[in-house]
Amino acid sequence: MLNGKSVVLIVEDSPIIRMSAVDLMESAGYVALEADCADEAIRLLESRNDIDLVFTDVQMPGTMDGIKLSHYIRDRWPPVKLVVASGKAILEEGSLPLGSQFFPKPYDGHAIADAIGRLLAEEAH
Amino acid sequence: MSDEPIAHFEAASTIAVVVSSNEPLLFLSADQRVIAASTSFCRAFEIEPATIPGRPLAELGAGEWALPGLASLLRTTASGSARIEAYEIDLERPERETRRLIVNARTLDDGDSARVRLLMAVTDVTDMRAEARLKDDLVREKAILIQEVQHRVANSLQIIASVLMQSARGVQSEEARGHLQNAHHRVMSIASVQRQLSSAKAGKVELRTYFTQLSESLGASMIADPARLSIAVTVDESSVEADVSISLGLIVTELVINALKHAFPDQAQGRIGIDFHSAGKDWTLCVSDDGVGLPTGEAAPKPGLGTGIVDALARNLDGEIEVSDAHPGTVITIRHRAGARRPASRPAAE
Repeated sequence: MLNGKSVVLIVEDSPIIRMSAVDLMESAGYVALEADCADEAIRLLESRNDIDLVFTDVQMPGTMDGIKLSHYIRDRWPPVKLVVASGKAILEEGSLPLGSQFFPKPYDGHAIADAIGRLLAEEAH
Repeated sequence: MSDEPIAHFEAASTIAVVVSSNEPLLFLSADQRVIAASTSFCRAFEIEPATIPGRPLAELGAGEWALPGLASLLRTTASGSARIEAYEIDLERPERETRRLIVNARTLDDGDSARVRLLMAVTDVTDMRAEARLKDDLVREKAILIQEVQHRVANSLQIIASVLMQSARGVQSEEARGHLQNAHHRVMSIASVQRQLSSAKAGKVELRTYFTQLSESLGASMIADPARLSIAVTVDESSVEADVSISLGLIVTELVINALKHAFPDQAQGRIGIDFHSAGKDWTLCVSDDGVGLPTGEAAPKPGLGTGIVDALARNLDGEIEVSDAHPGTVITIRHRAGARRPASRPAAE
């Protein structure tokens, strides 16, 4: 949380999709941070402790894809919520950490915003 | 001892049958000497026919048939305790590619139980196996390629959807925002088909799942209060070609958007129905609502972008559009009758 607002980190290598996701998160009232690859996302997670949720793409350049990243985050920062989107319509079952939410691309902004809202609301309880 | 006595005892017809066998075939004595070989065998394994009769199998050619496993199996076959079925061997010859062979052997059943003779058929499956492997590789490659293409298409659609979504949030004009949002819905409607196709067999799209997904996606983004407005999908087991499903999906998208926008200005509750059923090549699509009904007279709005798209797509599918009053609400029916083309789509000479 930052000044009472939830902090969402967006990990997406396509700048246009990332920009739109940032915009979506900000209009939903969150603080949006962005990373264009898993390594950058981990750097951000290490440098600050106010990130509530990570919204990540799966196919990305760099040492880790979104699935590996989500497992890494679940292990290292268990309270951080996870939302994963991918162009692959069907991900192998169980390839994502428990409790993370999956969306096939292209996703609907409203559906993503709703899911994120619900995940962040769980935190309050 | 010469080879002659062995050959001498065989019926000429038996030898003739063996020699003329289309499949490489050897006729062996119980001690694995060759009585006769088919011409096809000599050709396939490059053995001079004249050198064959009376020679032990192990000494054929340059001795490449001296295979302990094969010899042992032929021995058990000769003793009557086994029969070789589809035994695979690798035939190795100097300066030749190794051939993968399938051997079938059995005793000759000609009523002469005192003297055992063997029939050994050899099939060269090297090329067939290589082809099968190549085919497997191609199938696997194709699957990977399709996945890659689908992934790229999904990502491209996401970029388009993102641009439209962001633009819609950025514009001030209510009308412009509406158009951008509609464009976004259309992109999402095509994306649903794409997703359906990626899990479909033979490029067919199952309409019930598709329309259900479509209505959920439209509802999620356009219905603020799900308790007030709902979309019900009633579709039979129909599956259609991908391009047809894209047109049908866009028609449904347009009609549902129209209904959500205009049918329920101040109703407490509303329901939109998407109905599709087919019989043979005929099909009927209905999108209905229980809203305010058709505007009449001066109040009727000019047909907007929505109905223009519906008209064009329906024509393209050889479908006839009928708009009727449902008291309450409106039903829009698109009927396709196989063979009944609309005159408008096939203009005849005056």
